[in-house]
Amino acid sequence: MEHKLLTEHYNKDNYKSLEGYKQCGGYETLKLALNKQPKELVEMVKASGLRGRGGAGFPTGVKWSFLPDNNEPRYLLCNADEGEPGTFKDRMMMEKAPHQLIEGMIISAFAIQSHKSYIYIRGEYTDSISIIEQALKEAYKQGYLGKNILNSGFDHEMDIYVGAGAYICGEETGMISSLEGKKGQPKLKPPYPAVKGYLEKPTVVNNVETLAAVVPIVRDGAEKYKAIGTERSAGTKIFSVSGNVVKPGNYEVPLGYPLMDMINKLCGGLPPGRKLKACIPGGSSAPVLTAEECEKACLDYENLMDLGSMLGSGAIIVIDDSNSMVDILSVIMHFYHHESCGQCTPCREGTGWLDQIVKNILHGKGRLQDLDLIQNISQHMMGKTICALSDAAALPAISFVTKFKNEFIDYIQQNKISSDNLNQVV
Amino acid sequence: MSVTKRPKKSRYLIPIFGGMLLTFKILLKNLFSRKKMLTLNYPEEHYKYGPRFKGNHILTVKKDGSLRCTACMLCATNCPANCIRITADEHADPNVEKYPISYEIDILRCVFCGYCEEACPVDAIRMGPEWQTAALNGSNFVYDIKHLAHRENLKGGVQSVVDDKERHKAGI
Amino acid sequence: MKKMIKCTINNYPVEVEEGTTIIQAFKKLEQEIAHYCWHPGLSIAGVCRLCMVEIEGNNKLQIACNTVVQDGMVITNQSQKVKDTVRWGLEFHLINHPLDCPICDQAGECVLQEQYMKFGAYQPLMSEDKVKKRKVVDLGSKIVLDTERCILCARCTRFTDEISKTKELGIFNRGDRSEIGIFKNKPLENDYALNTVDICPVGALTSKKFRFQQRVWYLKKAPSVCTGCSTGCNIDVYYNEEGLWRIRPRHNSSINQYWMCDKGRETFKHVNPSGRLKSSFRHTAEQTEKMTTFQALQTLKLDSKKIGLVLTGSYTCEEYDAFLDFFQLHSIYHWKNNPKNFEDYDNFLIRGDKNPNTKGLLESINKRQLKLEDCTQLEQNISHLDLLIVCAPENHKLYPCLEEKINLFLKSKELVWISPHSHTLLQKPINTVWTIPSKTYFEKTGTFINHHGTRQKIKAVASIVDSARSLEEIIHILKTGQTDLTQIASIRDKMKTNYFMEQKGSL
Repeated sequence: MEHKLLTEHYNKDNYKSLEGYKQCGGYETLKLALNKQPKELVEMVKASGLRGRGGAGFPTGVKWSFLPDNNEPRYLLCNADEGEPGTFKDRMMMEKAPHQLIEGMIISAFAIQSHKSYIYIRGEYTDSISIIEQALKEAYKQGYLGKNILNSGFDHEMDIYVGAGAYICGEETGMISSLEGKKGQPKLKPPYPAVKGYLEKPTVVNNVETLAAVVPIVRDGAEKYKAIGTERSAGTKIFSVSGNVVKPGNYEVPLGYPLMDMINKLCGGLPPGRKLKACIPGGSSAPVLTAEECEKACLDYENLMDLGSMLGSGAIIVIDDSNSMVDILSVIMHFYHHESCGQCTPCREGTGWLDQIVKNILHGKGRLQDLDLIQNISQHMMGKTICALSDAAALPAISFVTKFKNEFIDYIQQNKISSDNLNQVV
Repeated sequence: MSVTKRPKKSRYLIPIFGGMLLTFKILLKNLFSRKKMLTLNYPEEHYKYGPRFKGNHILTVKKDGSLRCTACMLCATNCPANCIRITADEHADPNVEKYPISYEIDILRCVFCGYCEEACPVDAIRMGPEWQTAALNGSNFVYDIKHLAHRENLKGGVQSVVDDKERHKAGI
Repeated sequence: MKKMIKCTINNYPVEVEEGTTIIQAFKKLEQEIAHYCWHPGLSIAGVCRLCMVEIEGNNKLQIACNTVVQDGMVITNQSQKVKDTVRWGLEFHLINHPLDCPICDQAGECVLQEQYMKFGAYQPLMSEDKVKKRKVVDLGSKIVLDTERCILCARCTRFTDEISKTKELGIFNRGDRSEIGIFKNKPLENDYALNTVDICPVGALTSKKFRFQQRVWYLKKAPSVCTGCSTGCNIDVYYNEEGLWRIRPRHNSSINQYWMCDKGRETFKHVNPSGRLKSSFRHTAEQTEKMTTFQALQTLKLDSKKIGLVLTGSYTCEEYDAFLDFFQLHSIYHWKNNPKNFEDYDNFLIRGDKNPNTKGLLESINKRQLKLEDCTQLEQNISHLDLLIVCAPENHKLYPCLEEKINLFLKSKELVWISPHSHTLLQKPINTVWTIPSKTYFEKTGTFINHHGTRQKIKAVASIVDSARSLEEIIHILKTGQTDLTQIASIRDKMKTNYFMEQKGSL
């Protein structure tokens, strides 16, 4: 069953305006939060078991507590650069409930005592940008932002920064570089952003969904939030389901929800006459699951990890038997080749190399030893770079080639070049 | 040092006669069947060596007649006789980049070891079948590009087996 | 004093200062470690991913350049895991590298070549097409860029960002299409630009002046001190039988770190045999007489004459000492390259005083409590002098006032011009002019004192012009009348066989 904690009022037309949001109890939580101690809020988020919804799944409260205890200015950055192929949840959140995000951000900023925050939105989301802009204006007008918020003595300024569409700017340090006006390239860690982030100052970067989820946690209490979902993956998560299903879209379910239920019950199953072949559970960078693995899969961090995949950003891409895995891998590899920032050698050269090999296979020029080569290259790309883009390219490559080896071998041996495939790639 | 065991004194006449016998045998053979004779009447007659004979150097050329040589100096570095001298310069075409403005081989110092040929990464220098280097006193024994690449008997130059396109594909 | 901590590197225990990175500890222990982007004089980029090490208790390999040594750390880069990673790292570096070593100027001193020989895979796996990029890109009057050879270690961009602070270079585009480049109409022309060529580990950046001149394996290098200005940067001079070819900076943390200016790199040309004064001459209005330096010094009458001395800052301390001891009682004039900007400084390396040893000259003068007059004083006094001895600058190019001053000197009754170079004005004089060849910094041993007062020794590498004599040797001849300089221990050590006379036999 869907559990609408965040998306409860999304169908109301005026929910994106401040009036509509307040009618549904908006900004009440902010008042509640401003009466608490910042430390208390951090503990609360820690206790709720909320984990980063952007992909890595790092406990949010713990991340906040890494900030050094000093008087340096701190920054809160909202990562709305939703670039993971298959993910479209943040966009919906920003377009349907901008104030939910803003409220969550003000509470989070209060918790970490930051007086300046930015929402980094990818440039392609023109609607989201204008809606958030409008919402910010309203919030400033009503005194939810600016000096002395709701007479609590807490000041906070919030701005939008529009990205130029690079996938890598969704990585937190890449985003910080971009925000600083530099080329969007991830920075070396250590120092971590919590110590030296935006403008070399302590910085917290959180996903849109994470920040929005702070609102129900503060409103209902940590225990109530923790009760949802599984032991170690608490709360609800919005999943963006796409691919070969009857009703693709965003679905909010408690973590731990079975994958097959998601596909069959909520999304109306596969198109008639098709059979499930594979499923990518966490955006294009997550390793693919075979149909058998899908049966066992539950949508939470641990279960998918056990299956050798990951929850990622919650983008479920359903693949049925009408698709060629070579084709799909080629598209994924092309994406990572195009999006590698070019800083670290293994990623810069490896993504291009993988892309070429897979394209060669697709174009009927593959060799059998290429499959081993793909695995070797991917193996040596993983964990060798500054950010995780290299892993993100390597993991699907390895999983596709190992789990669907026969399909690749057939492809190479039959040497088939269908005009369809060629067109898609070109 | 090689030690030759000399025959005992009393027997040395026998090998001498044996030697004389052989000499006269060959003399008679040559007198009566001149076709089978092992020697040549040089310079009227020339011996024809195999195609792999390492004689005088040839600088190969590209299709357009320019030198294949990239002036990498590997031949000069490898030359045990130190007889190759190259001066490199920047070429107007960025795909060529470097080329020799002078390439000189002091043929009298050359020991015809073939290391230059071996060292060349682009098949720019070969050792051709010519072997007559003799000339009169005062002749130029320092061969320059004009002689090495475009001498008359090369008939417009020897083309390198390395194709331009292939070369660029391989990145050389 | 920083706290010292212990760690183990490849089974060797080592003690390092707190805050040292692993790669620095490796360098300290002289253990081999592959790396491209790390440079001790620049910030850490951590992009080549070659300096991987295995730290005990850490499953994931770490880069040595950005990991700080902690107490009790056990580090190795000899494990199979690290070796595989480095091998693959090199493979990744090379898949799009054009491998045009034959025409690449860096070949022979290319770090990519060196490290591939040490750590490489030797079995290239890449059979796909390489990415094509721009070749022979003009970056200005000094440097040529080859973007295909570039391995994007970002050393050069970091140099222009951090050291020269001119920010001309940047990495454009992304992924394997990344290229180093400059902005439109903003060529790489700063005074320190050629350092980027030095730090480029591959042949992507090459100096226009040195390009294709020599293969580096034909060159030998000798340590020396730059004579281009009074900063006294430490340098390596690269030379072979045909002459000097280039100068590169040598690390000295208290003077020039890893860098030097582009003007200093030009200071080898005046050392080369062409254009040097090869023997002594006596020029008069009627005739020119060629003689050996010994003959010239013998014929030169110094007794009971009123002598003026003109000194420049391009000689060694030992030479000044010998010279001033001999000529104590005469008036001494200091010839500066350009009195107006003599004290200039660009706050990094370049100084307006274009002499390596002005401090040394002043020290020798002060030691003897002599009076050093400015060259402008000479104009009034020149008519009273019988003989003017000019210890002229070694590198005439650094003296913009050269001709003006020579015209002044020629007004004296008799002029002795001691310099590695002559000048056309000196060859048709009204009065008598002696030209005596002197040695350059490459040929003599001695001490320079730089602007900060640091004493630096230079050593004779080879003699280039046989007849050239240092001031010390000239004074010795004047004093003793002996030609055999090998009799004196201090000079004998400095004599070297003439390396440059050796020529290949020709018919």
